[in-house]
Amino acid sequence: MNNEFQRTMIIVGIIFVALLGTSFGVAMASGNGIGTFGIVIVAGLFNAMLLFLVAAGLSIVFGLMDVLNLAQGAYFTIGAYVAWQFHHAPMFAGIPADLRFVLGVLLATVIGAILGIILERGLLQPLYERPIFQIVLTFGVGIVIGEILKAIWGTAGKQWIEPFGLQQGLFVVFGQQFSIYRLFVIVIGFILIIAIALLLRYTRIGIIIRAGVEDSEMVEALGINVRFVFTGVFTLGCAVATFGGAVAAPFLGAGLGVGQGFLLGAIAVIVLGGLGSYEGTAIGSVLVGLAGQVVIQVTNYANSINIDPETFGGGSFLAGLLNYSTDVVGMSVWSSLTPMILLILVLLLRPSGLFGKER
Amino acid sequence: MIKQRSIGDTIRITLQSNWFYLGLLAFLILFPYLVAWFTGDPVGGVGGRPRGESVYWQSVFIEVFIFVILAMSYNLMFGFSGVISFGHALFFGIGGYTTAIILGKTGFINWMTGILQPLSDMMINSFGFADDFNMALTLSLIIASIVAIAIAGLVGLVMGLVTLRLKGVYFAIFTLALSEVALIWVRTWGFTSAEDGFSVTDLPDFINPTRFRINYYYFALICTVLVFLIIRRLMNSPTGRVLLAIRENEDRAQAIGYNTLRYKLLAIVLASMMAAVAGIIQFGFNKRVGPEMFSVRFTIQPLLMVIIGGIGTFSGPVLGATLLDLSETIFDREFVFGEFTLNVGEYWSLILGIAFIVVVLVFPQGIVGTVRTQWQKYRSSRPVDSEKAQNTG
Amino acid sequence: MSEQALLQIEGIHTFIGQFHILEGVTVSVPRGSIHVLLGRNGAGKTTTLKSIMGITPPSQGRILYNGMPINGKRPYQIAQLGIGYVPEHRAIFKELSVRENLIIAGRSSKDFELKEDFIFELFPDLKRLITLSGGNLSGGQQQMLAVARALVPDNQLLLIDEPSEGLAPVIIETLMEAIQRLSDNVTVLLVEQNFRVASKLAQQFTIIDEGHSVETGEMGDLVSNQELIQKYLGVA
Repeated sequence: MNNEFQRTMIIVGIIFVALLGTSFGVAMASGNGIGTFGIVIVAGLFNAMLLFLVAAGLSIVFGLMDVLNLAQGAYFTIGAYVAWQFHHAPMFAGIPADLRFVLGVLLATVIGAILGIILERGLLQPLYERPIFQIVLTFGVGIVIGEILKAIWGTAGKQWIEPFGLQQGLFVVFGQQFSIYRLFVIVIGFILIIAIALLLRYTRIGIIIRAGVEDSEMVEALGINVRFVFTGVFTLGCAVATFGGAVAAPFLGAGLGVGQGFLLGAIAVIVLGGLGSYEGTAIGSVLVGLAGQVVIQVTNYANSINIDPETFGGGSFLAGLLNYSTDVVGMSVWSSLTPMILLILVLLLRPSGLFGKER
Repeated sequence: MIKQRSIGDTIRITLQSNWFYLGLLAFLILFPYLVAWFTGDPVGGVGGRPRGESVYWQSVFIEVFIFVILAMSYNLMFGFSGVISFGHALFFGIGGYTTAIILGKTGFINWMTGILQPLSDMMINSFGFADDFNMALTLSLIIASIVAIAIAGLVGLVMGLVTLRLKGVYFAIFTLALSEVALIWVRTWGFTSAEDGFSVTDLPDFINPTRFRINYYYFALICTVLVFLIIRRLMNSPTGRVLLAIRENEDRAQAIGYNTLRYKLLAIVLASMMAAVAGIIQFGFNKRVGPEMFSVRFTIQPLLMVIIGGIGTFSGPVLGATLLDLSETIFDREFVFGEFTLNVGEYWSLILGIAFIVVVLVFPQGIVGTVRTQWQKYRSSRPVDSEKAQNTG
Repeated sequence: MSEQALLQIEGIHTFIGQFHILEGVTVSVPRGSIHVLLGRNGAGKTTTLKSIMGITPPSQGRILYNGMPINGKRPYQIAQLGIGYVPEHRAIFKELSVRENLIIAGRSSKDFELKEDFIFELFPDLKRLITLSGGNLSGGQQQMLAVARALVPDNQLLLIDEPSEGLAPVIIETLMEAIQRLSDNVTVLLVEQNFRVASKLAQQFTIIDEGHSVETGEMGDLVSNQELIQKYLGVA
């Protein structure tokens, strides 16, 4: 635990307290009481976990291979569609709902892994010598996957219709009811965060990955087949993102835009957390997930109380901004906008991110 | 004795080394008339309205020109200078929207008309000009365009300053984020009429594509040629060589002593301004702007065009843009194979995406690059035979 | 000359990008010796080591290890044949602890355990620093770690690039002793800019000048040959 790390953790702590405090304050002021605060926390953590599932692969792959896998969003979408299709297919209606869901998620993850291997081996490896083209290629692959999905399932999204056990149970936080499924996803996310952290810190492959993030050329000079490691890590990253899409589907359905939204959010996460830093990715996911919900909560509140622009000096910029932000309808806009604005802020103020190692 | 090159010689040499481009230019200049001659539909439209084959093809090519400019600008940044951007649409949109906003949503035109009143009165009275409104309009359009281009350049400059010191991927991410934000902003902002976009009907007569599409055709063509020449001039100059060196190996270029940041910034600013020009032409052509101008389509298209056409070449983006845009237009209809109907248009993006992947993997130099390499290989393999024949015996 | 050289480099040419760095380098490293590559900055000494290791593979020529050609193999395959690489500027993993740096060098985690005693005998400081992260070590300690790392697997040949660079004279002495001791068990191909260190450690030398190997022989002969020293190693 060196000084740099401690200082950053303090900053993180402050941001957390500020976010939660704002949310709490607004919740109380709005008269809905602490229930709204509960929504922010649960929904925030839920989104945070999904973001982490996409960002983890993105971050480690980038640190290790210097490739930003812009197809991650497409993998998420694949996961959603496959899980949806399996769960709603008349062919499998005989299987009990809970089991069907689990199988669907497993199937999606396996498909994601296979496609990940194909992408890395078949398309990325030939381009190791030309790194600029690698990122351009992942971009193209993301588009192609999107088009294929569109061809198979059409442009309209899919809603999750068939319920299953976990979805229907409820739990209560601060007087607010939530589907147990949300808790399930949050718990899985936390387990994964810790599992990956343990893997990185205590296993031999974890050491190799951490060394590779620093200097993959030297790792190979030590006798380790790094290309094999690259393929493995990349595949896992894709598989986890696909898993994320499958697991999110019961709530978010399946649609082309959702995956892209999470890709952009994941990019915001890894830049905020610091490119190449695992702790940064984990913490960044929670920050971005929570921040997104807090922003929605605050703008809803501002909308509801009809703040008089005059208090900000009539036609001033702030008044205009306030008008714009309260005019904007729908959470969906702010959920896409917040990560982007965070990303831009980070780039302007501290591009290396929280735990980044840019010299 | 110092041999002076006469003007005649210079002209002859220019013609000889650029015969391809000049031929192409001549073709494009004559094109509307060729179509008119071939199909019988007049260049100015049928029955006083913008109809007919010639007008149709003028429109097709105006769109091609827009994409050629967009592709060339992307090539300047990516192909010649090695700067990756995933938000080129940002500058395209800035160009169109800024101009449209100034002309359509502010009182600028009225203000210009007011200011120019004395001048236009004098022109009408002294020189017999009938139309006073047009002068104000034209000037407004010019000023609005300049402002739009300047803003685009400024945005590019700021983005570069902020992120170029870091790894290249940061700039790419920044462009992606900013264009996404711009898209959402413009799509939800009441001022810009949100999703619908808004129209501007006030355009100077002589350049109004509805009334004189052929004039707009030549306007777009002139812009394209200008952008092409600027890029060529730049890349053939010492500055251009530095940019190429930076693309090859930035560390080495820095070691030699070049301020690589400054050169990359130059490329970015120029590229963003050119993309804005394309956006302005697009706006003028449709006489409206919509949020789709910020959509990822206008980032992907130039990227594809440059890579497929030939990255880092002069003709590559031109070829890529023409090929892709024309193909998209031509194939956007249904083909019937017996009982089987295929709407290629629907699958166009998919086809394009796959072509893109194939090119990146197999023909990274694009069409122009690959052809050129093969040609050079072919030429260098032949003289050896005659040399050998000379040396033996 | 009956015994086959452990490492035989035959007329290799190496390009980095479009730059023709090595234009015909031939080096012969006999088993059990310490052989040093000498030459001015930029002559191509580091590139020679990298070519052996497969990091910048040669486009022409051959590299034979135990009589077997290794040019064209990937670096990890070459390393697995028993060649250890200690690059310029240490290249230890700063985010990893000393222990982790040493563990990763072995084929499995067991390898370090087997060599632990031997390594700590050579470099007693490392035992004390075992839990520290690489970034917290001093330059000299990092250099020792880098060399120690190359000893974890059963390497027969060590490629060491400018170990004395940036180190205080006292540390250099310790380092030299360590290298001399381990040369009992392994063959060493050294790149060293510091002629004093080079002359004390190495038995044979090869001089590389502008990408060519120009002179080779016994170190004892070179030390007294001021003309050669001035010509190829003197300040330009």
